[in-house]
Amino acid sequence: MLRRFVIHEPRAVEEASALLEAHGPEAAIYAGGTELLVVMKEGLAHFPHLINIKTIPGLDTIEASDGMLRIGALATHRAIERSPVVRDAAPVLAELEAQIANIRVRSTGTIGGNLCFAEPHSDPATLLVAWDATLRLTSRRGTRDIPAESFFTGLLETAREHDEVLTEIRIPLPPARAGTAYERFKTHERPTATVAAVVRLNGGTIEEARLAVGSVGPRPHRLRGVEAMLTGQRPDADLFAAAAERAAADAEVIEERFESVDYKRHLVQVLSARALATATQRAHPRETGGD
Amino acid sequence: MSTLSHRPASTEPMGAAQGNGAQGLVGLSAPRVDARAKATGEAKYAGDLQIPGLAYGKVLRSPYAHARIVRIDASRAQALPGVIAVLTGDDVLDINPYYGHAIKDRPLIAIDRVRFVGEPVAAVAAEDPQTAAEALELIEVEYEELPAAITLDAALAEDAPRLHVTELLKPGLFHGLGELKPQPGNICYHHAFARGDVEEAFAKADIVVEGEYHFPAVYQYSMEPHTTIAQWGDGEITVWSSCQHPFLVRAEIADLFGLPVANVRIVVPYLGGGFGSKSYTKLEPLTVALARKARRPVRIANTVDEAMVTTRRHGMKAWMRTAASADGRLLAREVRCWFDTGAYADNGPRVVATGADAAPGPYRWEAVKVDSWGVYTNTSPAGSYRAFGATHLQWIGEAQVDEIARRCGLDALQIRERNLLRPGEAVRPGGKPLDADLIGDIQKVAAALDWGTPKPANVGRGLSVGLLAAGAHPVSTAFARLEADGTATLYVSSTEVGQGVRTVFSQILATELALPVERVRVQGGDTLVTPYDRSTGASRSTTLAGLAVQRAGQELRAKLLEIAARVFGLPEEAIELRDGAVWHEGESISYPDLIRAHFGMVGGELIGRGEVRPEKGTGSYAEGPVFWEVCIGGAEVEVDPDTGKVTVRKAVSVADVGKAINPRLVKAQEMGGWLQGLGNALFEEMIYDEQTGQILNATLFDYHVPTIADLPASFVSTIVENEDGPGPYGAKGVGEGALAGATAAIVTALYDAGVRVTELPATPERVWRWLRERDSAAAGGAQSARE
Repeated sequence: MLRRFVIHEPRAVEEASALLEAHGPEAAIYAGGTELLVVMKEGLAHFPHLINIKTIPGLDTIEASDGMLRIGALATHRAIERSPVVRDAAPVLAELEAQIANIRVRSTGTIGGNLCFAEPHSDPATLLVAWDATLRLTSRRGTRDIPAESFFTGLLETAREHDEVLTEIRIPLPPARAGTAYERFKTHERPTATVAAVVRLNGGTIEEARLAVGSVGPRPHRLRGVEAMLTGQRPDADLFAAAAERAAADAEVIEERFESVDYKRHLVQVLSARALATATQRAHPRETGGD
Repeated sequence: MSTLSHRPASTEPMGAAQGNGAQGLVGLSAPRVDARAKATGEAKYAGDLQIPGLAYGKVLRSPYAHARIVRIDASRAQALPGVIAVLTGDDVLDINPYYGHAIKDRPLIAIDRVRFVGEPVAAVAAEDPQTAAEALELIEVEYEELPAAITLDAALAEDAPRLHVTELLKPGLFHGLGELKPQPGNICYHHAFARGDVEEAFAKADIVVEGEYHFPAVYQYSMEPHTTIAQWGDGEITVWSSCQHPFLVRAEIADLFGLPVANVRIVVPYLGGGFGSKSYTKLEPLTVALARKARRPVRIANTVDEAMVTTRRHGMKAWMRTAASADGRLLAREVRCWFDTGAYADNGPRVVATGADAAPGPYRWEAVKVDSWGVYTNTSPAGSYRAFGATHLQWIGEAQVDEIARRCGLDALQIRERNLLRPGEAVRPGGKPLDADLIGDIQKVAAALDWGTPKPANVGRGLSVGLLAAGAHPVSTAFARLEADGTATLYVSSTEVGQGVRTVFSQILATELALPVERVRVQGGDTLVTPYDRSTGASRSTTLAGLAVQRAGQELRAKLLEIAARVFGLPEEAIELRDGAVWHEGESISYPDLIRAHFGMVGGELIGRGEVRPEKGTGSYAEGPVFWEVCIGGAEVEVDPDTGKVTVRKAVSVADVGKAINPRLVKAQEMGGWLQGLGNALFEEMIYDEQTGQILNATLFDYHVPTIADLPASFVSTIVENEDGPGPYGAKGVGEGALAGATAAIVTALYDAGVRVTELPATPERVWRWLRERDSAAAGGAQSARE
């Protein structure tokens, strides 16, 4: 059962940062608790001090302007799923958020909490890596932006310093003739494999391709070898099959309790082929569902 | 004629079936009598109860699968402010602390040795749950690890570590399985039968299919984990518990603590589901022992991970072969199966026997040979779970029937029509003959699946049919009071576990007494107040306790007629019961007036009693079952050949229930059973680390229980009412058959889609591997066959 803890309710990010600094490793940020409280309840971790940043005003804003979608770290999955701004600017993200866990988690859990917990089986992380999103971290020492891919450093590990608070996710909106697709395979509470593809076309060729894979390894990451073999090529089924095969070989996959490594590699192959085909289809300007 | 004024009783219609006399309310889907209380949160569960002076218990559990307890030092825990008592094995040495309704193999708290990860080693009672939890961390236990047998193979090995000195174990109070013989090694129980000459039948067969199969350990998952409150008084014990079988718990507690059964009171509030996990005795002995030491009432409430190590479904491995003639006549079947019962027998012996009974399937065999063993392993104990035995074996037997059908050019429906038993045929010698129209049932399943119509690629359709020995021991009693104001109160000990038993009983009594359902109140189980009922399980409550309720109603009815005959001055045959009154032609006397006439005052009450006991013999397992529960299902599945993921497109159930007293509750049972069957078939599996015995997926994050999102797109359920059951109005039980039927139908549908399943659950990865094996085998050669 949950052991006793003190909950702090700061009113500003700087105050939260100070509390984190003051209590050191005895403190953790509470940003919804759908992951944190579970590990505390299971006795896998204990934090005598929880810093509830949900009480800080203004951290859940969602807005798009100047080619940038900005999502406050305290926006819940449900808020993102239902946001007209997200549905308009980044429908793939709205669809992804609608699929996360269950309605209770989506209503309480926040995107910032999800990213900072760095559970490798995260839906949004994989897509944000493919989108080259940046994460804004603030502490009493100042503010810095870090690319999503560098943010995830390992299993349950991120580049966030202990006194930093993730405040905003900044997603550059894709230019014209770019399509995004997100594919996942899920039979447990969390996905087994996640793949996100971004394809930008110029005439009949691929001008830029980005492929990110997650859930199968310790952290989501881009597959740059696959991206290179796609760039400048004409998109077709054979190309995607070859790219998917390479993706399965290149992906960082680890042994876990359930699915085996070779099956997870196979899933990466299947999902990569599907994601690339869909993203390419969406990149054609006249197709619906493009973003 | 009497001098009383004869007023017409209420003329309000009682429902659409009013014209059916005594059958009036039976067959209508009366709303659940507990719906409002449950929806508003007024319904009380064991976790809601507050007893004056209540203390909170927490349990320290073994981290080792098998170890000797060298030393326990609880002094620091005992000294923590707020701690009332710490219980260890030393505290129960003044009694014989071993229990088990089948085999008395389990100490109520570990004594010198632990046999599974999660076994209770110490328990703390404190003023609040936090303090109790903190005290657990202060208890020092020194263990000496022993070699452990985690898997069936390890436990069955020649040099396996032994869990028990099986030769010295004593039978429990209610194993119900004849003479329990001591078994060698880690064998807990062996059930076997053979009929006909199996070797000869296999020798002459044109077709033989054979295989080895695996079924996983499964968690029953009820939304409410086990919760028990115990109070120790002056020679009296009171227990409030989420238990399905209060009278069996009472007997075990009385036996353990050396009290007459009348001095032990078990009160059962609403249960948040059970599915077998709350059958027999679970937390009660430990909670009573802790209350005895604390001298305070104590509550122990399991968390989900504790519930998972309290009981589970048996994992099983089986070998089966089936013989047939070239024209599709089934000839013989031979089965060997091993059930992993964990560290203690719990209900293992009954599961082993029921599995053996289900193994042949409902076919006409020349010869059958079945051996079924229960095996002790160093894992959490396994007991009952909805449709045990049948769920374990039906998918295997039905898969082999379909393999034979394909080999002899028949379809799955044709081979079953040719070989299924017909009503009245023997299922097993000396037992109850078949009491259902299985061919009619399976044809209904096929029709619902659009059998024989074209289907898309990667889609398969499957049928399955089997039998489950249901009813357990046929002993139930009930009594009913008809109060002076014409309302009725029913006393019956069946547990309302979510199945709707209080609603069904209200309907039965209301029907017998010609009262509206709203005028009947059903008392919850309380062994001090409500009369004996053997158990709530084995699909028996409507059939057996329902029959006792009907008989209690009939006795009341007889009394009403007798009094009315006296008052009217007419023979009983000239009087009828209708709308809460006795009638002669156009004249009526309401029940309140009649009772007033009988007692000569405003007050008094009439009492009716109902008793059910074996109609012949002793009601033993060998003579039974009370009825054969039909386990039938149909499924249409789609396989994603890329990932191996299986989607159930259509679920079909046929509820062969004799008579549906409440059709909506029958369909709810069918759908619930089907969804659990889907979980058993496709994703549920408790995974034990084969070295440490730890459960690797002991949370609901990692152990996926079916949710509403997993429901098949289409669910078609048909109710068959042949009035061929032994219960009231020809009813027979429902609730378990759909589970076994669904699991097996998904397996046969997968076979139709090209996937030969040999291990459950059929996870995407397994399906993907089977597809790859099939494709490489298709490239390589043919199956071995004697044709």
